[in-house]
Amino acid sequence: MSASPDEVRARFDRLKAREPILQVRGLCKTVPAKDGERTILNDVNFTTHRREFLCVVGPSGCGKSTLIRTIAGLEEASGGEILVAGQPVHGPGPDRAMVFQGYTLFPWLTVLGNVMFGLRMADKPKEEAAREARQWLDLVGLEPYADAYPHTLSGGMKQRVAIARALAIQPRILLMDEPFSALDARTRARMQAYLVDIWRKIDVTIVFITHDLDEAVLLADRILVLKTGPGEVVDLMEVPALRPAAGRTLDDPALRATLERLEGFIHAHETVVDDEPVTPVVRLASVAEEVD
Amino acid sequence: MGSARHFIRGAALALLALVAIGATAPKASAADGPLRIGYSDWPGWVAWQVAIDKGWFKESGVDVDFEWFDYSASMDAFGAGKIDAVTVTNGDTLVMGSGGSKGVMIMLTDYSNGNDMIIGKPGLKKLTDLKGKKVGLESGLVEHLLLLNGLKKAGMTDADVEIVNVKTNDTPQVLSDDAISAVGAWQPVAGQAMKGVPGAKPLYTSADQPGLIYDVVTVSPTSFAGRKDDWAKVMKVWDKVVAFITDPKTQPDAVKIMAARSGVPPEEYVRYLKGTKLLSLAEGAKVFKDADGFGSLYGSTRNADDFNVKAGVYKESQDVKSYIDPSLAGAK
Amino acid sequence: MLGVLSFVLPLALWSAVSYAPFLWHPLVEITDPGDVAYYSKGMRAPADAFAEEVEGMTASGQAPPQGIPANPVYLPAPHEVALALWAAATPAADAREEFRLSSSLWHSIQIIFWAFLISSAIGVPLGILCGSYSAIGRLTEPFVEFFRYLPAPAFGALCVAVLGIYDGPKIAIVVIGTFFQQVLIIAGTTRRADYALLEAAQTLGARNLRLVRNVVVPAVLPDLYNDQRILLGWAWTYLIVAELVGTSSGITFFITQQARYQHFENVYAAIFILGIVGFGSDLLLARLGRWLFPWRRTTA
Repeated sequence: MSASPDEVRARFDRLKAREPILQVRGLCKTVPAKDGERTILNDVNFTTHRREFLCVVGPSGCGKSTLIRTIAGLEEASGGEILVAGQPVHGPGPDRAMVFQGYTLFPWLTVLGNVMFGLRMADKPKEEAAREARQWLDLVGLEPYADAYPHTLSGGMKQRVAIARALAIQPRILLMDEPFSALDARTRARMQAYLVDIWRKIDVTIVFITHDLDEAVLLADRILVLKTGPGEVVDLMEVPALRPAAGRTLDDPALRATLERLEGFIHAHETVVDDEPVTPVVRLASVAEEVD
Repeated sequence: MGSARHFIRGAALALLALVAIGATAPKASAADGPLRIGYSDWPGWVAWQVAIDKGWFKESGVDVDFEWFDYSASMDAFGAGKIDAVTVTNGDTLVMGSGGSKGVMIMLTDYSNGNDMIIGKPGLKKLTDLKGKKVGLESGLVEHLLLLNGLKKAGMTDADVEIVNVKTNDTPQVLSDDAISAVGAWQPVAGQAMKGVPGAKPLYTSADQPGLIYDVVTVSPTSFAGRKDDWAKVMKVWDKVVAFITDPKTQPDAVKIMAARSGVPPEEYVRYLKGTKLLSLAEGAKVFKDADGFGSLYGSTRNADDFNVKAGVYKESQDVKSYIDPSLAGAK
Repeated sequence: MLGVLSFVLPLALWSAVSYAPFLWHPLVEITDPGDVAYYSKGMRAPADAFAEEVEGMTASGQAPPQGIPANPVYLPAPHEVALALWAAATPAADAREEFRLSSSLWHSIQIIFWAFLISSAIGVPLGILCGSYSAIGRLTEPFVEFFRYLPAPAFGALCVAVLGIYDGPKIAIVVIGTFFQQVLIIAGTTRRADYALLEAAQTLGARNLRLVRNVVVPAVLPDLYNDQRILLGWAWTYLIVAELVGTSSGITFFITQQARYQHFENVYAAIFILGIVGFGSDLLLARLGRWLFPWRRTTA
């Protein structure tokens, strides 16, 4: 099962040769605090390439949620820049779609209506939007539930709808903020398989935040490791395996080693955790949904 | 549903007014169309209901719209120029005028003949028994005037009693209070007050001073000047009303109409009618002569003016003559 | 079950106080005045004074008064109110329209309907805008906050001056009484829209007014609907003062006129009917709400 180091190297050479989709340069994020300012993210730099699957891990309070929200345009960077396909990011845009941990499906819309939402916002005619939306639902295997309301679906199904809804606007980048952490272990494993399957079929780059290191090792091409206080990049680790796939297993000694290395990083930095809880000051309503 | 249009128009108007309140000026009294008269729940005014129900205005060739109000609401409507005339007391005509809504008293309907009263607790027999005691009444209103008049005749002043300001409608409950010795109220409230405290009885009533309070039709000067003939016709109808109500043969029919307007059983209404002396035009003509004393509307109104100034209802004494127009009601 | 009991208990208490003489009955209703000069039939005298009279009259060999224990006239017994309700339901053919409970009530319902419609037509959109855009909120809300403390009835005379004497000023007062609360309540509810949904919508390309229309409004709609139900009840309370302005009409005129003549059984009958109308319409609206917002069934 294990890929040879040469195969792996060749694969990453190919990956890095692809066009860069997301470039984060010198990204800083500070928020006002009692005693002036506190730094959430400090000089974050990385690049992901087309069709790459990037996982972001780090101890609680390392700012990984802030990072992905800033990339999504939901929060303003304090310094540095974010480029998507070479264009700087200002606010949310259709080149980036996001899947949240808390599903965030619109409860008043049917499954189909949810998936159509982004298409309708892009002024696609209703029928065309419906036709496209059904194709995306088909991709996540939920076409039969098109007319159901979200509250009738299980957690895993809801998250599949959310993925279809995000993909329907055909973004360059799919941002996922701990999308499976609210699911039970079995569903999570199934969802991981679904996601990889979908990702293989379509041309999209995924930035995936997780606190579950197993998940990161199983899914990612590369893993961005952040430390806390302030959030800085510790490492951008290449996972020594072939394509991220359901076929990966932690029995693979190379992956095992990667996982242990990751755990080492996290533990080393977890001791540094600030006693002050890091809460994004903005948007109290959504904070409850985030478990960093 | 005939009133649906009313509603839609009312609603539309309310909407308009909210968008730009005050932009609409009050409409001036219409030069033609019906005379709009506001009336309220007092036997001397409810009497008009007889003419309304019998269709006498139409017979006399005058177009009138009587609008039924709560008493103070009727004064507000007159003050706002929304009605041409209102049935009020002579004293309240001054009060409205002092506030800028000048009206002229063109005819009398009645004077209170016992319907207004000061009621004492059991054991009290005369007003002098009230010395140093508490009297509950609505300050500045007619019962206040009545009490002062009675005290004066008894050789006392308002300093001899302590006045507690209460709403007239609340006087029955107030009289049951141990601290209160007497209340001032008019019918039907006065009757309820006496019913509630057996042994309580009137110490002084408007029957003891006829003409202390005259009830009148007060008309806007514009309407009166412009449509004097129509107002003369209205007054003719009044004579017919008084005759119909006072004639024992037709009185039951009249009481039935009036009781229905007030929403009480006829047998109950007869009592209230008794305390009101309706005035025919001939009787009214005598009262419209300028003289001192309560036999004249002028004298009575000057007394009310003094009272209003003393009670602080308004500050400056009013020119009583300018409030009375005897051209139709006075003796020819 | 408890719901039924919550009505049965007060009714039982009322019946007990009305029919069990030893519980309250501080007065004696005189059935025969005897030789007491100032007593008359139907009068209600304090029980102790009555006892004294009986004693005094008996001692002096005169006819003592007779009477039965009674409550004050302000508390009629259930059966009296029931009779009044029956009488209201079957008015005499020659009864004036204002004294038919049904037409009074119908008049009042129309006032409420128009007032609430007008207030909502402006108040709900304004409230949503205030809640969605903080600039509009800051511009509008301080004044609204201030104005809502001004008593709506105080504008009665002004409303009459501007809107005439019929239903215009009544509607206006209910509108004034409802509108300002409405803006604040709706704005507050709008602010509680799930922010996560707004962010999700933004990442899907929703902006500005489309965000308000397609996400904020539907997200808070069930809550807005409940707010409106509460505000409708609020509007009813303003009816009491509104109907004293201008020409006398409607259910509250009926109530005040009957109270003036101390026909409290009619007053209570009218109050009950108001309660039934209010409670009934609220139940109806609640049911309608469940039908309108099916997705609320599990999340609410």
